[in-house]
Order: sequence, then structure tokens, then C-alpha cells
Amino acid sequence: MKLRENNHVVGYLFASPFILGFLVFIVYPVFSSLYYSFTDYNLLEAPSWVGFDNYHKMFTDDEKYMKSISVTLNYVFASVPLRLAFALGVAMLLNKAISGIGLYRSAYYLPSLIGGSVAVSILWSQVFGDQGLVNSALGLIGIESDTSWIGNPSTALWTLIALSVWQFGSSMLIFLAGLKNIPKDYYEAASVDGANKVRQFFKITLPLLSPIILFNLIMQTISAFMTFTPAYIISRGEGGPLDETLLYSLYLYKRAFVFYEMGYASAMAWVALIVIGIVTLLIFQSSRYWVHYESKGDK
Amino acid sequence: MKKALTGLVMLALVISMIGCGSNNNKEAASSAPASSPATSSGEASPKASEGDKKDPVTLRVAWWGGQARHDYTLKVIELYESLNPHVTIEPEYASFDDHWKKLAPNAAAGNLPDVIQMDISYLSQYGGRGQLEDLTPYTQNGTIDVSSISEASLSGGKIGDQLFAMNLGSNALLAVIDKEMLEKAGGTMPTQDWTWDDFTKLGPIMKSQGKILTQDLRHDVFFPFYLRGQGQHMYAADGTSLGYTDDKPFIDFYTMYKSWYDNGNLLSLDKLAQKKGTPEDGELELGNAVSTWGWSNQYILSSSVAKRPFEILPVPGWNDNKALFLKPSMYFSISKNSKVKEEAAKFISFWVNDIEANKIIMGERGVPVSSKVKEALKPSLTPDQAKVFDYVAWAEQNSSQMDPPNPVGAVEVDKLLKDVAEQILYKKTTVEEGAAKFREEANKILAKNKK
Repeated sequence: MKLRENNHVVGYLFASPFILGFLVFIVYPVFSSLYYSFTDYNLLEAPSWVGFDNYHKMFTDDEKYMKSISVTLNYVFASVPLRLAFALGVAMLLNKAISGIGLYRSAYYLPSLIGGSVAVSILWSQVFGDQGLVNSALGLIGIESDTSWIGNPSTALWTLIALSVWQFGSSMLIFLAGLKNIPKDYYEAASVDGANKVRQFFKITLPLLSPIILFNLIMQTISAFMTFTPAYIISRGEGGPLDETLLYSLYLYKRAFVFYEMGYASAMAWVALIVIGIVTLLIFQSSRYWVHYESKGDK
Repeated sequence: MKKALTGLVMLALVISMIGCGSNNNKEAASSAPASSPATSSGEASPKASEGDKKDPVTLRVAWWGGQARHDYTLKVIELYESLNPHVTIEPEYASFDDHWKKLAPNAAAGNLPDVIQMDISYLSQYGGRGQLEDLTPYTQNGTIDVSSISEASLSGGKIGDQLFAMNLGSNALLAVIDKEMLEKAGGTMPTQDWTWDDFTKLGPIMKSQGKILTQDLRHDVFFPFYLRGQGQHMYAADGTSLGYTDDKPFIDFYTMYKSWYDNGNLLSLDKLAQKKGTPEDGELELGNAVSTWGWSNQYILSSSVAKRPFEILPVPGWNDNKALFLKPSMYFSISKNSKVKEEAAKFISFWVNDIEANKIIMGERGVPVSSKVKEALKPSLTPDQAKVFDYVAWAEQNSSQMDPPNPVGAVEVDKLLKDVAEQILYKKTTVEEGAAKFREEANKILAKNKK
């Protein structure tokens, strides 16, 4: 019996680094940022209470804030569906029993392994720069171009979206696992009944995969809202040209660390939290109309 | 096995608690650099214990710059440490932007480095908000030797009558011209009394050779300079608004700027956005542009990177209303939270007065403010360095007092000006609309300074 009591202590001890870390590095900062969001805090002086001023200014008197919201929404609405579609497409290609398939799977996952890193963003600014790979490729097929895709206001955001789509690996792996779970008999039965591949995809694959799509959709939407590194590196911290890549988190960072307005930045973070929460909730709510669960028992 | 595991977990717990402990205790964190690493310095250099009995001291010194500056600054620090064996210096260096991003959280934690390289655009923020030590007592008691430094040079670090920052060197604005490229293209080298029109006229000449005039002119530097030529100032004396109410100078300057851009005499914005801002990457240095515009201390790196001689001209309009001015290129400040202010002051004094140190620095942080140092360096200057020293000496005779340090909020106003200028160049707005928009938004930012 004594041994068992000891085990409790050991259990808590094992968990304690996490618990302490959670309290100190998550709970405490979260609540202090809530407090700071109601203050004017420039880091050099003590914060002073301003009530809802930060929130008020955000929605009534900050053109850039509105711009950053529209940029972020464009980014999320373009990159998430494209990325998921791409991931699903590649997953279906890789869901075949051919030799060396493991190698292909690893190769396609590679961009995601190095994905969020600074190095890839730097690579990207080379690829889409005025002397970059994209322009060379265009030159080969006879289109002369020396614009910098990153520096051009109408294409800059699309280079970021392309980068996000290119990093489809993690969603792809999850899709792949989901595809493997769909029994082969369904397809056999369908083809016996004369359903072609397209029909099979829409009638069998998509419905049976929909819980996985829901999961991926939520995870990718949340991470897309919080995208920071590529925009920061590629635009050199500016969000340019003409604020076309001024993603929400980048603007928040600028407010906090360039203009020293921690109170305002904290308020922005809380608005983002609420908005992401609402969007996630909406996706969940909508799921009952399109997500198909094989076992209805839980309902 | 189990015991070992438990032990491991205990260890992890203890370590994480120590980590938290010093996080929570700001006092401990800020005093730690002053006391604890000192012991390690004693071990590292046996000289320290032999030479003198002074208590070991650790100084944290932070600056911004490029690789060349980091390299020679570390050499100066080595020299200082060898002359003062009881001092250990912990260098903290970064690029300009990152320097300021690191400093602010340090300030909030009461953990600023002892010696901070300061810029004029941040002086009011840090000095006016109680983060910097007034250096007047140290200059008065001789810890910082100012006997060979003019009052005019010192005053650049003052807010009111408090000296928050020590001027490290004088700078003046200039244009760097590639004379050979210009004459090859069929142009003639302008004289120092040239005008902006003369510059504009070089545009087509250079364009016929496939060259541009320059990559860009920094908006937050050259627009205020243009304003001075019109007898106006960028900021009001009390810092609560812009210094001008009439948009005409803005419209004139940016109409001219836009004409250069539209005629293809400047680097296109999409390519400019990719520039790293280093001399190696500059259009003049690469041989694509006939000029570059900036501060005098930057000239030395430009010419050494390009490996060909350039000519220096003053910026057009320098004589209108005595627009030309000398500016402290940068400063050293001592943070209020420093525990070793006396030693920090000694280091600063060494930096500005020591001849051996300045033979390493060689005016890279602006022309030295000490007349003795300036004299002593003269024989060992390279021709390029001599050009800069001569130009700054000439500028000193032909300039007027600089504008006071930028008010709080100026960093945001500078970004706003860049944004508006880009909107004009991208034809998203007209020059007139841009002028009005900039004035209104900037005044709104600065109005926060009203108390």
C-alpha cells in the first residue's frame, strides 16, 4: 500500500515541470495580457489604465488595423481550402500500393518538416525575387519578367499563400491515414454497380473522410490565422508592399515591439483570440450539415 | 532504476524552480550580471588578481551595426579590458531594428545593459521616460573627460538641461557621386552649389546608359532636410504636432520625387523592398546607380565595398536657410538601472577620448567629437576617411543648429511617411491627397504627447 501512495507523489513530481511551466509561462502571461489590454503600456513606464480605449481605437480609428484584418481574411480563405485540397490530392496519389511509396511519402512530407522555419522563408524570397527561380522558369517558356513577385503589391500575398500550400505535409499524412481506413469493399461494390472514379470520390471518399476533413480544417484555420514567420521574414518585418502582407499577427508584433504599444497589442491579441474562437465554433456548428459519422450511436 | 528516475524528476523540478525564481525576482536578475559573472572573470584572466586590487566589474555594452562595426567594436573592447583587467565586458550586438526590439523588454524588466548605443530618434523615449542616467555629474567630476569636446557637440545629447547621451561622432548629410560613371555617360560633375533641378537633369543622361540616379532617398531623412531648406521643421518644438501646417513643401518635394520615379531614375519599389540595406547590396556600389545619399560615416564603407573612388557633394539646398546641420551619428547612454554607472562612465570616456581606441574606430561612428582625437588621427587617415573628415569640418562651418531630438511617436511618423510616399509612387493616391493625409495622421500620432 505504501508503494501506491509513493506513486502518487512520483506522479505529481513527473507532472510538476509541466504544471509549473504551464502556470508560469501560459496562465500568468495570458492573464497579464488581459490586464495590459486595458492599459497604455509602452514598456518604459508603468502601465496606466485606459479602460476600453484600445478596443475602441482599434475599430474606429485605425486604418491599418482594418487593412490587416482584410489581408488576414484573404490569406485564410485562400490558403486553407487550397492547402487542404492539395493535401487531399497528394494523399490520394500516395495511397497506392506501388514500390518505393514510402520514399515518396517522406519526400512529400519534407517541406512541412522545415516548414515554419526562417530558412524556408528566405528561400521563398529568393524563389519569387526579381532574379528568382520563378522568373527564370517563365523566361524558359518565353515570358520575360523581371518583377519581384514579393515586392509587387498585387502578387505579394499570393506568394505567402503558395508557401502555405506547399507545406501541405501534416494534413496530407492525416488524410492518408484516413484514406487507409476506408474499406476497399466499398469501392469494389461501387465499381461493380458501375460508378466511375469521380462518383466514387464524391459518394464514398468524401463522406467517409469528412470527420478528418473537419479536423484538418479546424487545425489549419487556426494556424493560418496565427501565421507570422513567413510574412515577417519575406517582407523584412514591414508587411509591405503597401501593407499587402500585413498579416494580423505581424501588425500586432509591430505595434508591440516597433512602436512600443504593448497595451494596444495585447488588446489586439484578445480580439484575435475571440475571433478565432468564434470561427472555430462556426465550423463546428456547420459540421452537422456536412460531416458524416459512420456510427450514429453517440448522437 | 525507479530511484534513478525519481531523482531525475526531482532534479528537473529543482531546475525549473530555479528558473522561475530568478524570473520572478527582477532585482536578482538585474543585479546578477553585476556580481556573479565577475567571479568567472577573475578565473578567466589571472592578470586581474595580480595587477590591482579593484573589485571585478562586469559591464554590459549594447550596440547596433553591421558585421564590420561588430568586429572593430569587439577589438576596442578587448583593448579596454587589457588596460583595465578588473573589467569584463559582455557585448550585446544586433541590427538596428533588433537592437530596439531587445531593449524595450529589457527596460520593462529593469534589466537594460549598462552602456547602450542610443539613436536620436529614440532619445526622447528612453531619456524622457526615466530609463537613462543624467551624465552631467560624470562630466563635471571628470569621469567622462569633455575637456576637448565642444559644447555644441555635447548639446546633441541633451533633453532640457539633462545630458542623457554622449555624442560619439558627428555626421552630416551628403551625396556620394560616381564621377567616372557620370562623365562616361556624357554628364558633367556638378559643383557644390548644385540644385535639385541639376540632379533631375542627370536622370535622362544616366538612363540612356541604362543606369539610374540612385536607389532611393530615405524619406525620414531627406524630407525633413528639404523642410529645413524652406525654413520649416518636421516637428513642432513641443513635440505635440508636426512643425508645419502648409502642405506646399511636401507637395513640391514629392512631386519631384515622383517624377524621378516615374521616369525610371530610381530603383522600382518591388526591387527596393528586397534590398538588405548593406553597402554590398547598394545600387551605387554595384555600379547600377550614379549616386547614393546618406550620412557621412556611411561613405567610408561604400567606397571600400565598391573599391573605386567617389566624389562627395553636399545635398542640394544645403545653403537655403542654412539647412545643413551636424548630427550626432549615435550616442552612448548609461541606463538608470545600471549598478556600475561609474565604470560605465569610464568606458564611455575611454571611447571618446582614447587615441589608440579611435585608431581602431577610425571615424566609423562619425567624425570624433574630441578635437585632440581628431588631430591625432589625421596622419593615419586613408584618402577616403580624410574626405569625410574634411567634409564634416566644412559642414561644421556652413551649418546651423540641428532640430531637437525627435519627439515620442516619431518612429511611427517615420513609418507613416514611408507608407504615404509608397502610396504616391504606386499611384494609389495623389501627391496632394498624400500630403494632407500624412499631415493629419502624423498630427494625430503626435497629439498623444499632449499632457
